Amino acid sequence: MAHIAVPQAGARQWAWLLASFTRREILNRYAGSVSGLAWSLLHPLAQLAVFAFVFSQIFRVGVPPAFTGVSYAAYVAIAMWPWIMFSEGLTRGMGSVHANAGLIKKVAFPHGLLVYASVLACYVVHLVGFAAVLVALRLFGEPIRFSGIPAALVLLVPYMLLATGIGAILAALHTLLRDVEHVIQVTLTIVFYISPILYPASIIPASMQSLVRYNPLAYFSERLREILLHGAGLVAGDATVAIACVAVFAVGMWFFNRLSPSFEDFL
Amino acid sequence: MSAAPERLIRLEGVTKDYPKVSTGGDRLRTLAALLFRRGDLPHFRALEDVSLEVMRGHSFGICGENGAGKSTLLKVIAGVVRPTLGTREVNGRVGALLELGSGFHPEYTGRENIYLSSALMGLTRAEVREKLGSIIEFADIGEHIDEPVKHYSSGMVVRLGFAVATSFAPDILITDEVLAVGDESFQKKCIAWVERYLAQGGTLLFCSHSMFHIQTLCQSALWLHHGRVRMSGPAFDVTREYLAYHQEKSAKEKAAGRAGMAHGIPMVEDGWTEDAAGARTGTFRRGEAMVLRGTVTEPDDRPPVILFGIVRADGTAVFGSHSNERGFLPARVDPRRFGFAVRFDNLALLPGKYTMRIHALDPEGLRMCDTLEREFVVTGETRDYGVVELDHQWLNP
Repeated sequence: MAHIAVPQAGARQWAWLLASFTRREILNRYAGSVSGLAWSLLHPLAQLAVFAFVFSQIFRVGVPPAFTGVSYAAYVAIAMWPWIMFSEGLTRGMGSVHANAGLIKKVAFPHGLLVYASVLACYVVHLVGFAAVLVALRLFGEPIRFSGIPAALVLLVPYMLLATGIGAILAALHTLLRDVEHVIQVTLTIVFYISPILYPASIIPASMQSLVRYNPLAYFSERLREILLHGAGLVAGDATVAIACVAVFAVGMWFFNRLSPSFEDFL
Repeated sequence: MSAAPERLIRLEGVTKDYPKVSTGGDRLRTLAALLFRRGDLPHFRALEDVSLEVMRGHSFGICGENGAGKSTLLKVIAGVVRPTLGTREVNGRVGALLELGSGFHPEYTGRENIYLSSALMGLTRAEVREKLGSIIEFADIGEHIDEPVKHYSSGMVVRLGFAVATSFAPDILITDEVLAVGDESFQKKCIAWVERYLAQGGTLLFCSHSMFHIQTLCQSALWLHHGRVRMSGPAFDVTREYLAYHQEKSAKEKAAGRAGMAHGIPMVEDGWTEDAAGARTGTFRRGEAMVLRGTVTEPDDRPPVILFGIVRADGTAVFGSHSNERGFLPARVDPRRFGFAVRFDNLALLPGKYTMRIHALDPEGLRMCDTLEREFVVTGETRDYGVVELDHQWLNP
């Protein structure tokens, strides 16, 4: 039996390493660009502007009656930033092992930290952008309920664990099968359009409602809108979803750790 | 003094297989085998059944040809690679200098990189803060410390890497041929650091192609050959056998080379050292006569130019000379074979190990075509310093 003991460091030291990795991820992302982190806000804003124009002006998608008084842009923004956190966290988490191949080949440390740091960095960066956008929307007179922010933050935690769990599985697969990268790009695009981010879940035909029912992203989008636009609180369903997300995270990390000793063989 | 030396590293029956994944099917099968922990897959065996023990305060050298598995073994000990089979036990803090500066991020400043790579070595923020000053001082790269690492010269990266890796006193220091890094003065600093580290009871584990380093720094050594332990024991014995193996091997290659004289280039067929009486030997007393003899082949049957060079075991060049410099033409002994001899009366080399290099050049003396190396030892006692004894006299003013 292979047996390995790393008596070098305790949890506190790894926490500091995680912090360093996360810091590096955040700073690194726009290193070399003049406006730096501003891009992490400008990029989604541009995307939002395009979507808002195309869907509200050309396709004429409206805001559902439950949200009257809310502009289409605000309606989309609330679901879009969490989506960006999720999809980007997942993509970067997936690439994190490969991106740090040099480190993995030379230094002994828990590889899981790389995935955590990538996902965490995405959430931190876009959370700041999200906060800025919510404040801006409020200034433009949109009915954003700041009282819902704590509940929204709580809800983002299982969302992040979900991204980490899936990201970890993909990162482990990616070391062996580079195809994963391409599959995931396509999959994310599909998931984006079949999730009620640009439109309300209610306009999805009844025959396809199961897409919404079993889609965790749909759940989070709808719930965040209820919380931030209606001031709704947390409900029992959130706990169920949170447990499911924790389960995905646990499975993801199990899978990752199972393959992690072999990363060095394939990088 | 503690009674029994503490065991820091123990490897037992360590085997490392690298999977061979050339096709997509291989990749999928490997993935399944890893997940379900079974299956026999096509693999390449990098290490097989390697066992070793290293005690605190003892230094351990690993030698072997390229591809023998030295780096893999160091990585197993450093914890970067998990062995496929066998047990690895390491007690104490390991400092691994596997590739200096490998953890650095090019866009970050040197200072930021110090923090990051220290964190990678398992240091806490407080520990790093405490050491920051001494790391920067040791690296001695001036104000570049606040510039991005991508603007560093490779020497600067290595200096910073060494400074970080040695900033905390590791129980075990693992290095992979990195003692010879940076410029002359930094090398001295590194060697001084290692010597002080060893004097203070540090444990060093390193692989090197320099038998001189292994002999001077290590008590024990291990010779890896195609992933297996060919020999393990006192450093001097292992390095001697290893060098003997290489001599034999190059002699065989020479023999094979003679058949292929159609190469069209002069080759050193054989070469050896003799004492004054004409007996072959590799050991000379200081002040004795030494004769270098050899044969060289030249495909066009024109006398080639011969160059010999004497190098001390640590690589210091001592003396060398061309045959055409002295107007010497090697004597034709057979068609396309030439013999030569060089006599050194009163060998002035100080005691130590040396290598005699014999080179064959084309008849014009322009291209160096072949090289043969022979080791020899000069014995004797002396309190002189340096490489050779210069003729001198002490005079009263």
